Amino acid sequence: MSTAGMRRGGTALTLLGLLGLITLYWMAFFWVPTEVNQGVVQRIFYIHVPAAWTSFLAIGFAALASGMYLWLRDERLDRAALCAIEGGLVFATLVLTTGPLWGKIAWGTYWTWEPRLTLTLLLWFIFIGYFMVRNATEDPEKGKRFAAVVAIVGAIDIPFIHLSVVWFRSLHPEPVVARPDGPTLPGDMLLTLLFGVLVFTVLFFGLFLFRYAVEGLRAEADLRARSAA
Amino acid sequence: MNTYLRQVWVIVWKDLVLEMRSRERIASMGAFAVLAGVLFNFSIDTTSTRPQDVAAGLIWMTLIFGGLLGVGRTFHLEAQDGALQGVLMSPTPKDALFLAKTAANFVLLYVVSLLVLGVFGLFFGLDLGPNLGWVVLVLGVGALGFVALVTLFAAVSTGTNMGETLLPVLVFPLLVPMVIYGVGTTTRLINGRPFDEVEGNVRMLGAFALAAVAAGAVLFRYVVED
Repeated sequence: MSTAGMRRGGTALTLLGLLGLITLYWMAFFWVPTEVNQGVVQRIFYIHVPAAWTSFLAIGFAALASGMYLWLRDERLDRAALCAIEGGLVFATLVLTTGPLWGKIAWGTYWTWEPRLTLTLLLWFIFIGYFMVRNATEDPEKGKRFAAVVAIVGAIDIPFIHLSVVWFRSLHPEPVVARPDGPTLPGDMLLTLLFGVLVFTVLFFGLFLFRYAVEGLRAEADLRARSAA
Repeated sequence: MNTYLRQVWVIVWKDLVLEMRSRERIASMGAFAVLAGVLFNFSIDTTSTRPQDVAAGLIWMTLIFGGLLGVGRTFHLEAQDGALQGVLMSPTPKDALFLAKTAANFVLLYVVSLLVLGVFGLFFGLDLGPNLGWVVLVLGVGALGFVALVTLFAAVSTGTNMGETLLPVLVFPLLVPMVIYGVGTTTRLINGRPFDEVEGNVRMLGAFALAAVAAGAVLFRYVVED
């Protein structure tokens, strides 16, 4: 796809995502019934869970692109990984803000070493490490390789972190969707949640394409500046 | 395969001889470990906390900080006088080089681990009884995973202009499984629980170590290429 096509695709997906976001807010605030036990605060769930899903999608996607970059050495794959990590950092930050807000009311404390919250915090630090390594080398090529290694090792480590923090302690509400015996969430809540996941995924890819197009233009400009010099 | 193992062995031997002669890393790690034990002794109030409840956590944290100090400098000496370039230009496969560096670091860190266990046992009056062998095993499994991860990222941080300051940022999030399983297991063993109770955790620790060694062996070539 050309850079212009990428930008058009990014614009379309982002607009679609923003439209979906408005609908999602309407659904989460007005349409879906209030949960009996937790009350109004439970509505943050429709933002929190899709954001968490998106940040894990981002690290998976980035690790895949990084692995292929190390193999094929195509600059586009490195750019894809970088943009995915940036998106992941944004959505992980969302999770880390909405989680404690909900926790203060539901658990009575902003922070607790709850497994999934801990996992997201560590994921957030892996994202930060990616950027630090990338920007700490004189040779940009080297920074790209180092960052790719960080993304891949991070993605491999996540299942281990997940299992260990779950073993350590669990306070978080039990899964209500991904259960062996089917979802326990009532129909309209499930619909709102799944719609949220869809919206956030579309939004992620929209922003991703946007960033990717910008990185492409930057590389092009670099190339021109170098050939002019 | 035979030549592969010999190549690994040659580098392990070189690193260990170098360490035996200079004693640069083992001395700093060992001194750090003992002094950390002394400081930890003053940092806990033994009238309100039983030493055997916190000893395992302190042992593992000492290993992590001390290990970072020593293992983080794996490539430092060689990078300084350009010897790393020579090793990299030799026909040794990069994964053999990684496995050799990891093995040599493992020997160093394991020696320090046993020192830490002995010193902390003495300082905190731990009585391990029949579980001593298991604790020694668990420390070995944890140390293996640790050195594999830190050796890989030491190569990364040596190549950046931030140097060793970058290392904790990169490896601490990744070391969480090792800390949780390692400390959980060791605490139970120190408190005289049977090994059966913690076998699952030791297996997880082993799986973590294997994954770290495998990932390092595959990815190391991309870190050191030039």
